[in-house]
Amino acid sequence: MKPSTRRRLFRGVLYAVFVIALVAVVLAADWEAIGENFFDAEVAREAFPTIITVAVKNTIIYTVIAFAGGLLLGLLLALMKLSPVAPYRWAATAYIELFRGLPALLVIFGFAFAVPIAFDWRPPGGSAGAGLLALIIVSGAYIAETIRAGIQAVPSGQAEAARSLGMGPAWTMISVTLPQAFRIITPPLTNELVILIKDTSLLFIAGMALQDRELTTFARDSVSQTANATPLVLAALMYLIITLPLTQLVAKLERHNQRGR
Amino acid sequence: MPYKARTAAFTFLAIGALSLTACGGDDAGASDDAANGYNLVSEGTLTVCSDIPYVPFEYEENGEYTGFDMDLVKEIATGLDLELAVQDAGFEGIASGTVLAAGQCDLEASAITITPEREEAMGFADPYYDSLQSLLVPVDSDIKSIEDLEGKKLGVQGNTTGESYARENAAGAEIVAFPSDAELFPAIQSGNVDAVLQDLPVNIGHTEDGEFTIAEEYETDESYGFAMKKDNTELISAVNEQLAELRDNGKYQEIYDKYFTE
Repeated sequence: MKPSTRRRLFRGVLYAVFVIALVAVVLAADWEAIGENFFDAEVAREAFPTIITVAVKNTIIYTVIAFAGGLLLGLLLALMKLSPVAPYRWAATAYIELFRGLPALLVIFGFAFAVPIAFDWRPPGGSAGAGLLALIIVSGAYIAETIRAGIQAVPSGQAEAARSLGMGPAWTMISVTLPQAFRIITPPLTNELVILIKDTSLLFIAGMALQDRELTTFARDSVSQTANATPLVLAALMYLIITLPLTQLVAKLERHNQRGR
Repeated sequence: MPYKARTAAFTFLAIGALSLTACGGDDAGASDDAANGYNLVSEGTLTVCSDIPYVPFEYEENGEYTGFDMDLVKEIATGLDLELAVQDAGFEGIASGTVLAAGQCDLEASAITITPEREEAMGFADPYYDSLQSLLVPVDSDIKSIEDLEGKKLGVQGNTTGESYARENAAGAEIVAFPSDAELFPAIQSGNVDAVLQDLPVNIGHTEDGEFTIAEEYETDESYGFAMKKDNTELISAVNEQLAELRDNGKYQEIYDKYFTE
């Protein structure tokens, strides 16, 4: 047998195994029970308008606020960590280690309940506000490390060239180093954004008013009221509808950037 | 490369189908317990799902699950000559009946209010507890009744009778739903809410240290029930027999007094 024939044969066997496995799984599943419990059209129809006008809307708003806040905070922390002044470096390192090491759920719990008890101060915006503040603080810690790595990945010759043209250190950072750094860290930042979209589902622990509910809270509520798990599937679908186009968009942006280099 | 994209889409679909069926596969794992006709998940054992903790209905003490619901199902299991196994499950799976459909347990005992929607999805035994609601406020609060809640923040447990009661009767209040009492009590302690409306026995537990008090109690005409698979009629009637027996021989009252006497 020629090596090429053998290769073709082997590939054919692999395809066959895949198809057989797929068919076996499809035949073995109890589709009726699955349909009843997870894909009830009636329940889905009932949940549908509110899931868009309240749940999807809030999920997007929360993500945008937490990401924008996290980005600003992360930038500040990254610059602090690269600062020649030691106490700034120490403070930034301590902050990052602390909040990267704690589960987001516990940080949200802390801001919603422990901070008001300790300092008699409540974050603005009620429970959602406290939860969002916690998300900003947690995502800031992650984003700071990403940005720092991006800044350090920019060849030092770029900054040296800018400085030799007479630019000050601040202006060099803003106009030369940071734009290149952000171009490098587009993929990990997208990751961070997608993780944040899902982390908004943790806000329920802080307590939610009806109009503040995001996708997961909404789905959990509907499950309890309809005695059917379909809203959870619907919410899962909504998360995908938000994240898949977003990641496609970023991939496009990345290709565009590559060409620009 | 359209060909590559198509392959990727195909793979994605296949993985999706695989993971879907993985959820449904559990159903086949339920063994038939023809011997006693109860169709139990695990032979000789009454497997009970409960969302723990929910004091005083179900909680852990000295490494064992205890509480009003737990003591009752213990007696029921003994009466049916079965071992008792308790599984801690999220309330979503319990309220939707998916833990039953997936063959995770035979019976749900988790302070579940009997509602028409739930009765359509699951089979309920006779009610075993009438849920009284109550309003918890700080002792120095000027909230004396549900009418004083206008414009105030009211904490409730999401998806409970307490929440629906609050929405119907305290329309002027800003109602904030929390996942469980583990967040509700910190919420009133931290001043995030001005009052908490929930099951009376749970609120009574929070009056013990003298900082909070119960302003009012409310009847709701609703009761808790043990839920089982709808078609498992043998088990449902057997549980009903046990419940009647426990009421007759005074055991029910004994357990009730243990948890609900102030």
